[in-house]
Amino acid sequence: MKISDLKDTAVTSGYKMLNLMAITKMGIKHGPFDLIRDIRRYPWLLDLAKVNRLVTKLSRSRRGNYRKAVGMVLHGIVKEMVHQIEGIFHRQEKLVLHEDMVPPEILRAMGLSPWMPEMLGILLPMIVPNVMEEYIDAAENEGIPADVCSLPKTVIGLTVKDRLPYAKAVVTSNLPCDGGMSSYIYVEKQLKAPVFRLDIPHHFKDERAEVYFSGELKRMIAWLEEHTTGRMDWNLLQEICEERNRMMDYELQLWEMIAARPAPLAADAVYLSHLWFYNVCSGLKSSTEVFRRLVMLAEENLKNGVAAVPDEKYRALLWNPPTMHVIDLFAIAEKRYGVTCIMDSMSFNRLPFIDTSSRESMLQGIGRYIMNGPMARHTRGPMENYFDDIFYIIKRFGIDMLWMAGHIGCKNTQALNNIMREKCRAEGIPVLIIDYDLADPRITSREGIFLQVDHFMENVMKAERRFL
Amino acid sequence: MTAIDSELKILLEKPLNHLVERAINEGMIPIGYACSMVPEALISVGKLFPVSMRAPGSEGTEMADLYLSSVICTYARSLLEFALDDRYKFLGGYVFTAGCDHLRRLHDNLDYLKKPGFSYILDIPHKTGGAALEWTIEEITRLASALEKQFDTDMSRESINKAIEKTNALNRALSAIGTLRKSKHPPFTGTQYHRLIMASRVSPAEYMMPLIEKFRKTAEDSEGRSEYRARLMITGSGLDDPEYTNIIESQGALVVADRYCSGSFPGLEPLDSSSNPFEALARRTLEVTRCPRMMEGFNSRAEYIAQIAEEYSADGVIIESIKFCDTWGLESAALTDQLRAKGIPVLRVEREYRQSGEGQLRTRVQAFIESIGH
Repeated sequence: MKISDLKDTAVTSGYKMLNLMAITKMGIKHGPFDLIRDIRRYPWLLDLAKVNRLVTKLSRSRRGNYRKAVGMVLHGIVKEMVHQIEGIFHRQEKLVLHEDMVPPEILRAMGLSPWMPEMLGILLPMIVPNVMEEYIDAAENEGIPADVCSLPKTVIGLTVKDRLPYAKAVVTSNLPCDGGMSSYIYVEKQLKAPVFRLDIPHHFKDERAEVYFSGELKRMIAWLEEHTTGRMDWNLLQEICEERNRMMDYELQLWEMIAARPAPLAADAVYLSHLWFYNVCSGLKSSTEVFRRLVMLAEENLKNGVAAVPDEKYRALLWNPPTMHVIDLFAIAEKRYGVTCIMDSMSFNRLPFIDTSSRESMLQGIGRYIMNGPMARHTRGPMENYFDDIFYIIKRFGIDMLWMAGHIGCKNTQALNNIMREKCRAEGIPVLIIDYDLADPRITSREGIFLQVDHFMENVMKAERRFL
Repeated sequence: MTAIDSELKILLEKPLNHLVERAINEGMIPIGYACSMVPEALISVGKLFPVSMRAPGSEGTEMADLYLSSVICTYARSLLEFALDDRYKFLGGYVFTAGCDHLRRLHDNLDYLKKPGFSYILDIPHKTGGAALEWTIEEITRLASALEKQFDTDMSRESINKAIEKTNALNRALSAIGTLRKSKHPPFTGTQYHRLIMASRVSPAEYMMPLIEKFRKTAEDSEGRSEYRARLMITGSGLDDPEYTNIIESQGALVVADRYCSGSFPGLEPLDSSSNPFEALARRTLEVTRCPRMMEGFNSRAEYIAQIAEEYSADGVIIESIKFCDTWGLESAALTDQLRAKGIPVLRVEREYRQSGEGQLRTRVQAFIESIGH
């Protein structure tokens, strides 16, 4: 065994140890009896506790700073998840459920404890791939059509099975799709909590959309002040937005570096960090710190001429959310074919900063980033948003191929697949559309997904397959 | 009733019927629309007239499936297929709404594959209230300007109010006939009324009025129907094929109320033509259509259905939704529970846009009628 291998093993073991410590500390703080009671109420807690499986899955094929980055991002997620769970245990009087396209920054600035139900449908299948099946089945047994996106179905299933925390209020929106929007009928019915619904216009690039949506945010704040103990602290919101801007600044630096060929960091280190720290806990110092250290690791690799993927052959753009129950898709593809995921549709955004000069500008800035968020811009609004982004990213990051995570429940993107194929063909960009379901491995198994990858790489790209 | 019914049937056989053809020959311009949230009165101004987009006799969606995929609802796919076959060439343009994911992507694909001379997508908020109303007024005002520019049509308030009056007259006439279904022995079947409503949605109002009047007179002279086993209400997503109602009625039911896009509930209520027409149209779009794509108001939508069922003495409600329709798919699951909790028998069915699974539907309706004790 080489010294570098020993170092890598030590890095992963270190992060695993830190994860275990954070989880154990949470359990001790909660007390054994309360913990047992809550594990019975929220059995998914035990699945989350298996997070080190995910660390192993994503680390074993990575080396050096890339492995360090993956471990650090996952540890950051564990720490924040622990904090979120403590919100259920200790801050229930402030707990507000919010759908994934509702800005948690505002809730935090109001002294509330945000909890995103979709977070479970995203995080759990990464750790235990088939864990959401029982919730999907529960939703379908309630009469929810099988063709509805599995993410809202997991939320409905968790609701029906009474596995979501009781909240003082619920805030949701018409994003990202009709299925997601309508799923909150069930959350409302089951939790019997008051619900506020944010409305985001279709023509969101129109100036009046900004005014309309910031008005919606103001109405949400007033509603929350009426229905919860939360009070808006504008100074705190300013601090949160400024912190978010700092984090974004680091992310832009990171993007600058990964545009280099070969990229110094890639795949999960880039997209999991954005997926979690932007959507769940942006504006926290700890989140900015993760990005600062990612930049340092990337810088070091660049300086030393070290590539994240030692023989980077193909640079891929991942479109749609990552394949959650096969989260190591790129970890395997890197080894097997030298495919490196450089950028993804969930991370990429064009309006990074929030103007913090006034209350109005902050709300407009938050509104703008929500309306221009990937799941908003690409699933609502006209198709130009979609294709403009694809071809901009391809050019900006030197992309060789597009991998479309063709989640069967995402009707918005399914209905654009053929236009995408034709446009990419015209530009000479090979496209792989992976047919699968976001949270349900029974639709396409792990093997089925890799079979599609192998067929594409071997038949279209004529790539040589390396057996692991 | 048979003679007028046959006349209506002919109007529904293809998108370009003889009344539309006549109107075009006289210099009128048909504007296609595919959502009940589109303010029909606005596309009835001057020489414009609305035509609800349908795909009668659709036999498959092979080309549309390639673009829209097989997980988009078959209504959207059928429209795209017809557009690709040049079956809507006679239309002067389209007005869509960002009503649901399926219609938005239909609009995107149409723009890419077969861009018409005029194509507009109305951005309707997903909730009601002051800000949403203001937004919708602005949207409708913008659509009016675009129509004025494209078709050189006078879109002054007076002209729009005149069009509102014309639409009101048509809707009042349809509504007056519709209320005859409250009677214990209605003089026509649900299928016949469905044909009347649909023919009115695909033909110019001026030419439809005499037919509506003929229908009314015939109904007045007809004997009431007593040979039915159960009175049913149909609710759900867009249903523009009266043959579907016919299959239900073939099992001994009488369809007495129709609460779906393109049905008579809601939508036939008269609009205020005396004030700001843009506001009247916006209020209709936001507050009257009661589509489940609106995020709020689930309870009031359920109440509305229960109220209509009671008013029309329906023995049960059939909730139909087109396969892959997310908003109706999710709404109908919750609606089923809510209506059953009120003691209303419910049959929930998924269907395709074009006629299919006829035998299955017959069996389910038979079983439903038996289960409600008739």
